[in-house]
Amino acid sequence: MGPTRKIDGASYTVVFKTVPDPVQVGAHFALDFAVCPRGSADVPRAVRVDAIMPEHRHGMNYRPVVTAKSSTMYRAEGLLFHMPGRWDLTFDIDAAGPVERLTGVLRLE
Amino acid sequence: MTRPIRPLVVALFALMSFSAAAEPDAGVRFSAAQIRRIVSHGPWPPAPQRDPSNRASGNAKAVAWGTQLFGDTRLSGGGTLACASCHQAELAFSDGLPRAKGLSFVDRNTPSVANTRMQRWYGWDGASDSLWAQSLRPMVDAREMGNDFARIAAAVREHPDLAEGYRAAYGAAPPADDEAIAVDVAKALAAFQETIETARTPFDDFRDALARGDRSAAARYPVAAQRGLAIFIGKGHCDVCHVGPRFSNGEFHDIGIRHFVGPDRVDSGRYDGIRRLKASRYNLLGPFSDDPGRATAVSTRYVASEHRNFGEFKVPSLRNVARTAPYMHDGSLATLRDVVRHYSEIDEDRLHADGERILKPLHLTDAEKDDLVSFLESLSDRWR
Repeated sequence: MGPTRKIDGASYTVVFKTVPDPVQVGAHFALDFAVCPRGSADVPRAVRVDAIMPEHRHGMNYRPVVTAKSSTMYRAEGLLFHMPGRWDLTFDIDAAGPVERLTGVLRLE
Repeated sequence: MTRPIRPLVVALFALMSFSAAAEPDAGVRFSAAQIRRIVSHGPWPPAPQRDPSNRASGNAKAVAWGTQLFGDTRLSGGGTLACASCHQAELAFSDGLPRAKGLSFVDRNTPSVANTRMQRWYGWDGASDSLWAQSLRPMVDAREMGNDFARIAAAVREHPDLAEGYRAAYGAAPPADDEAIAVDVAKALAAFQETIETARTPFDDFRDALARGDRSAAARYPVAAQRGLAIFIGKGHCDVCHVGPRFSNGEFHDIGIRHFVGPDRVDSGRYDGIRRLKASRYNLLGPFSDDPGRATAVSTRYVASEHRNFGEFKVPSLRNVARTAPYMHDGSLATLRDVVRHYSEIDEDRLHADGERILKPLHLTDAEKDDLVSFLESLSDRWR
């Protein structure tokens, strides 16, 4: 069980952990995460997860699939970071209004 | 006049060599962060691991049969070629040619089959997701061994030594299904190839010495190779793709090598590789995998096809790289120095607009190129 990380957005807070932790270069991993509406924000209709390397100008070679475990708990599977360096993990939260993107940073050696 | 000088020169050389070995400071001083990166390229060899998708994997009798099959010309359509015709042990399981030549020429360079156990993708375009699926393809490719399932199955059924090999490997007589026999032949070939592993290298001794803090042992690694290693993990950014003990991240990149393989033909690389992977009934999601839970199929299930995959080719392992010339997916670079020069002067105009941003000309000096080549040579198990 790895440590959890928290990202606060305008309407949502995401708390996530990688499985396994730490993430290894070139090895598939999953994300267990919760999306918590802040204030009067709606429950998300859909959540998408992706990751990019901003310094390299590309993302992953894999498209993760998100499964809802409950109204707030999710699992994303199929992620793989194929290079060491900075990866920006993005959570796109689709509710009634505009999609809100929350970004967490992971660094791999 | 020269006679009195020669012993002196020899003595001085011996003294210098001894000093280099005994004096830890003679080499490059790597920081703690650099040492962590160097140590990440080991240990070598990796721990043995069975392939759950191949019931022949790790089975000694299947390995023995696969060893026989690897050199057996009866697996080819004309009876003239074996796997070993292109994957020659004395050439580090490659063929020394720019482009492979089976029954006719192939567009790509023959990759070594050493250290191919449990990779994520196989072939320059990753069109196969297992070693057994990759072993099946050349047997039935018209340009390579030019055979078909019916003739492979007939050979196994009709030749007593092959039928006995099948029985020993799988505990049953060859079945009636031609396709099943051909896949089982490929699985035995894979079981053998899993055992082909490169030996330890001067780099591995250096890496292990750094890992245990033995500076005296580390100092035995040639200083030129140490300087080359500093470039490899430093301004060269080589270890961004050539990661881990195999010196490859197992993925695909466009590095500015020409895409045209003729006046009117283009090799689209990974782009077509993903299409062929997904269409193949021999992928790890298909009916021939022996992994009932399909846990080995994670990469195949989630791999994404992107426009930038066009012209991307697999990052090759650098183990034994000094013994596998010529280089690149099309064999277009003859020597390691040519490879270093390619990256040093890389033409950014040839790279994808949406490709890897960190590929920039390094403008290495001649001395730096020599050092980088020395480092690459030290990754081979027969030190020149």
